[in-house]
Amino acid sequence: MINSYRPQSIEAALDILNEKTCHIFAGGTDLMIRKRQWQGAERKFTQDIVFINHFTELKNIEKDEIFYKIGSLVTQADMVKSDLPEYIREPYRQMSHPAIRNIATVGGNIVNAASVADSLPILYALDAEVLLRSVEGIRQVKIENFVLGKYKTLRKSNELLTHVLIPVKPYSGYFYKKLGQRKASILSKLSVFILMNQDDIRIAIGAVNETVIRNRTFEMDYLSHKNIDVLKDNYQSLMMGMDDKRSTKDYRERVALNLIEDYLKGVQSGL
Amino acid sequence: MKINFNLNNKAVSVESTLSRRLLDVLREEFDLTGTKEGCAEGECGACLLYVDDLLVNSCLIPMANVIGKSVITIEAFSETLAYQAIEKAFVTSGAVQCGYCTPGMVMAVHELFKTYPSPSLEHVKEGLSGNLCRCTGYQMIFDAVELLREGGYRHDQ
Repeated sequence: MINSYRPQSIEAALDILNEKTCHIFAGGTDLMIRKRQWQGAERKFTQDIVFINHFTELKNIEKDEIFYKIGSLVTQADMVKSDLPEYIREPYRQMSHPAIRNIATVGGNIVNAASVADSLPILYALDAEVLLRSVEGIRQVKIENFVLGKYKTLRKSNELLTHVLIPVKPYSGYFYKKLGQRKASILSKLSVFILMNQDDIRIAIGAVNETVIRNRTFEMDYLSHKNIDVLKDNYQSLMMGMDDKRSTKDYRERVALNLIEDYLKGVQSGL
Repeated sequence: MKINFNLNNKAVSVESTLSRRLLDVLREEFDLTGTKEGCAEGECGACLLYVDDLLVNSCLIPMANVIGKSVITIEAFSETLAYQAIEKAFVTSGAVQCGYCTPGMVMAVHELFKTYPSPSLEHVKEGLSGNLCRCTGYQMIFDAVELLREGGYRHDQ
């Protein structure tokens, strides 16, 4: 027997999560598909469910001098329509299709932690952090420490991801390319996200490995020598994907590295 | 449990679990069969409707997320002038063949004009990217949208 709860406050939800292991149900665009069942039948849930999508206090985007603070229930459509910088909005604009973007949440894409989650490369590149709240308190965790692997995160079963924190910093240029079998409503074969400044570069690659590829040492190294081939070799050494139904290891790696090369060559020649 | 919401401009109450899909409740409890089930995973758009004026896939919406909200299905939308304009354009362009995708397609076309009052072909493709049609090859549907654009379609009529 599966119990479902729709608690009236975050505190009440945390109390339930502290008692038992539950599915936390926000928009449901991943969960409903994973538990799909015949028409008319109940979905195949195997754990109790806590519904949280009605918590309006988690639907805001705020900004102070240090962080953009994004509530975990902000939808992808909210992100696209927001005043956030274009380089933050763009990956969300290219995710799925309009009706799904009206439902799917920022927090859901992170907690689901699919290797193809399109919001993760940008969050890695921006050194984003997540706030995890439980009855014991709140902890702040860097995104790369939060995502442990495909569908695996650091979240304890009594914790709720309440906010994403993105450091506020201007960038002079960005590049984002998502490749899939079609232009919309598609899971990525790979994605490349690059942010540039006079004195900084950030490169994140999604959907090639189980988790996003990014390496601060190689980025700083590139800034000192500006040698694209060395950078490509370095990033190649981090790639350990597999062939699957969406693409092959070889295609993903070559195209990701070529996209990086193309963009950086353009930057170097002042295009 | 009893779930209260507003359905096609009427307050309704229905016995349902929290996790049951809005799509199933509409079809089985209210006999509103204009909303179709295609893929059951948010890809095909046959189940599109409006919840609080937002276009959503009802195959992915649990009743827990409908409580206190306002749902508009194709049955209520079909009584508007906006719908009549879309229907005329679809008929003129031959945009309906088997008809299974049509209710969802109509809802998505309406949403498209809410987002882009005078949509380019790129906008149309983006706006209808969540709707699959296996009959028309899409061109007749794009033609219908173009007819609507030329005719100055107003989503608020």
